[in-house]
Amino acid sequence: MRNPAHTTFGAIFQTEVLLNSKRVAPYLMALLFGGNAFLWWGWGPAESRGLAVNSEGFIAGMLPVFSFMTLPLFTALIMCDPVIRDFRTGIAPLIFSKPVSRAAYLLGKFTGNFFVLVCCQMVFPLTFMLLQGFRRPNMIVQPVSVLPYFKHFLLLVVISHLALAAFHFTVGTLTRNAKIVYGLAASFYPLYITYQVVLLKKLPPRWRSFLDPLLMNFLNVHSQERSAEQLNQLAVSYSADAIANRALMILIAAVCLAILYVRFSMNESDDERQITTVNLAASADWLDAGAESFSFAQAIRTEELTRGNAVVIPKVGATTEGVRAHLKQLVAALGIELRLLAAERSLVVLVPLATLLCVVGMAAYEAVPDGSYTAVYATRTAESLLLFLVAIAVFYTGEAMHRDRELRVEPVLWSAPAPNFVMLLSKFSATLLLSICFSLLVCLTAIALQLIRGHTPLEISAYLTTYSLVLLPSMVFLIAAATALNVLLRDKYLAYAVSFAIGIGLFYLYNQGYNDRLYNPVLYGLWTPSDLTGEAGSLSQLITHRIYCLAVATLFFSLANLFFERKATKGLRSNGRLSSTGWAILIMLLSTVIALIAGLMINIRM
Amino acid sequence: MLSIKELKKTYPSGVQALKGISLEIPSGMFGLLGPNGAGKTTLMKIAATLLDPDSGIVELEGVDFIADKNAARRMLGYLPQEFGLYPTLTAEQTLNYLAKLKGVIEVKERKALIDALLERVNLSSARKQKVGGFSGGMRQRLGIAQALMGQPKLIIVDEPTAGLDPEERVRFHNLISEIASENTVVILSTHIVSDVSNLCERMAIMRKGEIIASCTPQEAISQITGAVWEADLPREKVSALKKSRLKIVSTQMFEGRVRVRVYSKVERPGEEFSPATPSLEDYYFSVAGQSESVN
Repeated sequence: MRNPAHTTFGAIFQTEVLLNSKRVAPYLMALLFGGNAFLWWGWGPAESRGLAVNSEGFIAGMLPVFSFMTLPLFTALIMCDPVIRDFRTGIAPLIFSKPVSRAAYLLGKFTGNFFVLVCCQMVFPLTFMLLQGFRRPNMIVQPVSVLPYFKHFLLLVVISHLALAAFHFTVGTLTRNAKIVYGLAASFYPLYITYQVVLLKKLPPRWRSFLDPLLMNFLNVHSQERSAEQLNQLAVSYSADAIANRALMILIAAVCLAILYVRFSMNESDDERQITTVNLAASADWLDAGAESFSFAQAIRTEELTRGNAVVIPKVGATTEGVRAHLKQLVAALGIELRLLAAERSLVVLVPLATLLCVVGMAAYEAVPDGSYTAVYATRTAESLLLFLVAIAVFYTGEAMHRDRELRVEPVLWSAPAPNFVMLLSKFSATLLLSICFSLLVCLTAIALQLIRGHTPLEISAYLTTYSLVLLPSMVFLIAAATALNVLLRDKYLAYAVSFAIGIGLFYLYNQGYNDRLYNPVLYGLWTPSDLTGEAGSLSQLITHRIYCLAVATLFFSLANLFFERKATKGLRSNGRLSSTGWAILIMLLSTVIALIAGLMINIRM
Repeated sequence: MLSIKELKKTYPSGVQALKGISLEIPSGMFGLLGPNGAGKTTLMKIAATLLDPDSGIVELEGVDFIADKNAARRMLGYLPQEFGLYPTLTAEQTLNYLAKLKGVIEVKERKALIDALLERVNLSSARKQKVGGFSGGMRQRLGIAQALMGQPKLIIVDEPTAGLDPEERVRFHNLISEIASENTVVILSTHIVSDVSNLCERMAIMRKGEIIASCTPQEAISQITGAVWEADLPREKVSALKKSRLKIVSTQMFEGRVRVRVYSKVERPGEEFSPATPSLEDYYFSVAGQSESVN
């Protein structure tokens, strides 16, 4: 029997591991999971409930929660683009022209990346295992154990992730669009929670256990049904339903990969030709014109030979200085950015799905509110929207910021006499307009739902106030922060990973009670409908906070302008006027002053 | 006159791409020759305001290209060696966008300019076609069109004929020669020697970050007149020749034998050799070879 390491499958597997070892994301993930384990060990539910941090009951109880927290987005990060990457870098034709079978290629890609994902996740139980050697005051620690960590990790984390990893890999490979995968990943939480609340909750425990992809109800540490003593003594075993559930997950993964195997083609189709034109370098001659283009080019030549070629290039006036010229440039750049954004296929999936998820909670809403129905509808949809607005800000800003480089348009654009802020502001505004349009769509859907369900009277002003005061400044802030992050880090995937880490970190802190207005610019969990009506006298405080939020956003944007990679005119002044660098510094100082004043006012009022 | 003085650039990896280059480039076509890795693209990127040098000056009509990049960009037309275009835009939309960025605000003027440019680069019939479906040659021609927009004073074209078929190449040569005028400096960076000999009034040869020669193509050829010899030899003789002290300028297979050109200023290299008409390619190889042996 041949050594698997010497087969084509082995070569692809090893290369995938090697490629991932040169990325930043796996290391950051491992760091994040290790840090997470450390926090759960020292400051998690074990101490408050009197549980032993290394009891089997605690281990088996926390792993599904860890799975839930890390499942969709990190799986998407690793699994969405192994094949897309080959097409993007142009190596696909080189690989496909070798005697590599479709199965070896796909399986090598999948297993290589899944192995990396599992290695990153493994840091979580390993950290826990190593921390058995340490203890904090009041911490209960049982004799050292090793096997439960691996056994439950395999059954509760690896198998859960296997199904979703296969799904993400299949979608990413067949659509060749990472953003669709990220969109699906972002919608996992609302979908899963809805599935739990609407369907699983009503089922008998056996079915609940069988149909829950994460086995969240398998052994709940937070459940009051068992005492701490019982949990500490518990020897965890898997019921037939739980084993059937795991088998189902493996089957789902196999079905996904089988579909991929059937649908995936290693031959270049017309559609692929369109995608590969992303690499537009003149040297990319493997992207030659097809027969149709050839005859087309021939026709042009013949036509040209008969027509002659004595057209004079006219002299034109060019204005690149002054507000009017910059405005024209900005409008032109914004138009192009919007056009490129509209061509994003991920939006076709993401927008309807996200809209549905934002209003799905309202569809089941029955209670009579103390205030108005409209306030409840506006508030709830605004709260649901926040997650999607974060996702839009992170992903679409990242795409816009790095698109020019990926398409190699940068040298042509950057040699044009347009200032840096035109380039940045056009990308910023395009993402902001997308966010506004998306919010508007959710708002209109909520209004329609409200009218259909007869929850009247409809108060448009409540929607307007909620969306413009709470959501709009948050959108501006999120996009400005994402812009600055992409400029400073200069790597799209690093920016994604850092955004995730910051987002998850802040979310964790907010939920732990460390929720202060000064470091919560999106006002997560810090506002109620009464704040907007001024009934509680807090409208002015809310407005002050929104000014603070916009000032910080301006600060971020100026920072992005100042550190933008495209070289700008040196010095603060140019031709007796303030240069773009000078303007960026001036605006940065002004926004800092405004943010400080607003921040002080918020603190004083609190 | 484009003035380049003591330009130095070392990349973070430690590669010294430019070692204090100085050049005075007058209006008209200027050819920049050199092998891969000579530093041509680095020089082009600095002149196109995309890269900052460690030290040195690039100046045209009093505008400092290092300090005042916005002013420099107003005078610039740039066709990079490797570039892309938005695949979902048509040729017309692409030029329209770039024209707006170049400050051509008036709609009528812009339309006339785009029409003329598309006509000149032979893409009029493909104006409504998405760029994503263009062949390599069509993309290159669109790149050339955008570089010519808005009467640039300095046109930098980096390997412009790569990917063009012979007919398109000739058309490009004609077009670029027309554009080069008394008021315009055109820098043509290439490693196709015949492009320089056909088009350029002056030229420079770069190697390992240095200018090793700067003259007109005629001066270059006159420097080696009477010193280039040619012979058709069997392969085994060529191997022996390579071991000798003779400076081989080029070897090329010709009807089963090897046509060898050698550079020898003092004497006839052998009985098989006869005097050959020198070309710019001979000059390039002799200069590059000299520099190599010195190094």
